[in-house]
Amino acid sequence: MTTDPGALNTYLPTLIRYILVAIGVGVIMIIVYRVQIALGVKREAATGRALVTPWVIGFLVFNVFTIGTSLYLSFTEYNLFRPPEWIGLGNYQELFDVSFGTLESREQRSSDVLARRHSEIIRVEIGDGGFVFGARAASFWRSMRLTLVYAFVSVPLGLAGALGVALLLNQKVKGLGFWRVLYYMPAVLPAVATALLWRWMFSQSGIINTLTQPIWRLTTNEPPRWFTDANLALPAFVIIGLWGVFGANSVILLAGLKGIPQELYEAASIDGAGNWAKFRHVTIPMLSPALFYNLVTSTIAALQIFELAAFIQTPESVGTFVNWLIYQEAFTLRNMGMASAMAWILLLIILALTALIFRSSEFWVFYQGQREKA
Amino acid sequence: MKMRFVVVAVALMLCALGPAMAQDAPIITISTWAGVDEAAEFQEIIDEINANTTEYQIVHQPIPADYYTVVQTQLAAPGSGADMYWMDQNNMALKAEGVFMDLSACLANAEPGSAGDLSDYYPSILAVNEYEGGIYGLPWIAQPVVTYYNRALFEAAGLEEPTADWTWDDFMEYARALTLDTDGDGETDQWGFINNGWPPPYIFVWQAGGELINEDFTEAPIDSPEFLEGFEFYLSTAYNPEVSPSADIIAEQGFAEMFKAGRIAMFMGGAADDLDRVEGLDVGVVPVPAHPETGSQTTFAWNASTVINASSPLAQSNPDLLCDALIAITEGIHNWKIVSPRISQGTVEHLVASEPRKEASAEAIIAAAQDMRALPIFGNYAEFDSVFWSEFWGPLINKETDLTPAELAAEVRPELEETLQ
Repeated sequence: MTTDPGALNTYLPTLIRYILVAIGVGVIMIIVYRVQIALGVKREAATGRALVTPWVIGFLVFNVFTIGTSLYLSFTEYNLFRPPEWIGLGNYQELFDVSFGTLESREQRSSDVLARRHSEIIRVEIGDGGFVFGARAASFWRSMRLTLVYAFVSVPLGLAGALGVALLLNQKVKGLGFWRVLYYMPAVLPAVATALLWRWMFSQSGIINTLTQPIWRLTTNEPPRWFTDANLALPAFVIIGLWGVFGANSVILLAGLKGIPQELYEAASIDGAGNWAKFRHVTIPMLSPALFYNLVTSTIAALQIFELAAFIQTPESVGTFVNWLIYQEAFTLRNMGMASAMAWILLLIILALTALIFRSSEFWVFYQGQREKA
Repeated sequence: MKMRFVVVAVALMLCALGPAMAQDAPIITISTWAGVDEAAEFQEIIDEINANTTEYQIVHQPIPADYYTVVQTQLAAPGSGADMYWMDQNNMALKAEGVFMDLSACLANAEPGSAGDLSDYYPSILAVNEYEGGIYGLPWIAQPVVTYYNRALFEAAGLEEPTADWTWDDFMEYARALTLDTDGDGETDQWGFINNGWPPPYIFVWQAGGELINEDFTEAPIDSPEFLEGFEFYLSTAYNPEVSPSADIIAEQGFAEMFKAGRIAMFMGGAADDLDRVEGLDVGVVPVPAHPETGSQTTFAWNASTVINASSPLAQSNPDLLCDALIAITEGIHNWKIVSPRISQGTVEHLVASEPRKEASAEAIIAAAQDMRALPIFGNYAEFDSVFWSEFWGPLINKETDLTPAELAAEVRPELEETLQ
């Protein structure tokens, strides 16, 4: 007697639901089309709108609805199983419950100068004294600090590196196809595999410590403990981050380089420009739209980093990346309301930084068509 | 053309429905966190149950990755997911959310001596599944923490092996004597004990007479002298260069891996762990050390249960059938996993029959099982646990606070008690 009723029987209800959803979407598309035709819309336009209907439905259900719901949930206490309870700004108040204290001596404990139940986020010692920032939700602000510093350090370095790689890949050298594939390879590797590989490489007896042994032996006998030393965790994450973005960003910049008209370089040469002048006054301005695009996407990606935090643990004092903290708050502690509030703060920071980059673009991004019109 | 399309679609659907219609016995699904090997062993139990009944057919749907995220989302969407789930002790807190079926009625007539006989379970383990007079899960494992020790390291240091009646003082004496610089390079390379947050501090707190939460779940007396005595002893075993490796070394070399590599002399682990069958290592097992004055040898029991999804269609239409299947599955697991949470099965013979590889350790494990205790799980336990770890246990063990345990306990207690309300 067979004991397994079979995968088809087990998953049949799901299969039927999928088919019904597909039929339902098809019916809606037909209705959208018919209504437009009835209203006198041209056949071509009606077909186009009918064909994008599935995407619009998906966007409304899976994006607009969920984003709106998460905003609502951020004002509630919600654990998935009970109806959300409206608490107004309660979650935000808890997150922004911060304090500041002045240290009278280096020996003074942070807890003596911070508000009750607040933990230290930043302690700065100046001379015999100093100051300390603390918060009730210290883990959130420590994680925010780590995420922002990571983004501010890794994004410019990543862009500079990607530009360098793109310039090299733009040369006429032997085996160019091989080099391009090699540099793009990190971008197609799964992030989880990359995280695990780097974790192994950065381990105390890993390849990085082994290769740099002569250097650290000069200063100290102790090999660096990359992920457990609070001072080294960030540099390690930046190095890992750079490895991945070089390839992906380089491809976009390489396409930008290929699009720069050769006549501009020839004209610059006739005017007596050297290589640096051509790079500074032709390459960079002409490449600035691609750099701008990379800057925006890299900044957003750096602030939303997730896989590294999931697979590489950091000490409590360093914090973790905000997205991972949000995930833990939501699915480990089941504080969906608080997790939503954290997510919205992160979103607002991302929006503010993106807006800042957009505003700055008018000073350094050159759009050929725009200037020609002017 | 249109007509032909409709005919083909209907024919395809009927073909798909055919096998389902032909199936008489209801299908009962169970989701677990089992990986490949564990799932294969569990399938043998299911096959045997399915072969002996015509009432239902059980189908195992393992979710080996991100188990609780998936399960929570399934439970939050009524009518979706499996009919049954495995739940560890911490996640049994969901019993307060109405997502598990109350088993009281269907277990009332369970055969005495069967897995459905609630009087046969260790009361502390069963309590994890109880909520407001109801019973929401059947425990299938209660794994007490025991001490594994490396015989070769004891012998090399000229020490007698620990005995079942050893105390905290003996334990610390051994740990100090076994923390050594074996190659004479000025750096410690062997430690007496290892603690990175595991084992849990409750073992020593309970032994000293302290409590994490009082009986009626209204107080968290973590500032009591008994609690602090146990907790301070626990702290003295963690990241203390005299007896245990630092956090960095553990992060670098692995926790259990250090014991398996012969660099740790004593390790507290679950009774089912494979530490006593590491190739090339001669490992003994004893219960955890006792409090020197109270003599208590209480130990922590990691436990897990099987629950029924209250919103599954079968739970609505035929709860007794699900209950029968639950009892059959639990009975099977009690003869597979160690340690069985049933008092009548707390014998060396039963343990060895379930796991022959544990024969040499069976006596110590069964002795520990008599003193095991589960965490006091209540509806808001996740938040309580988070506050306890992030505000008290974590800062103290990681040395991230300049407050003493007593000072911090007084400060954190009100916050903990807020989560009890």
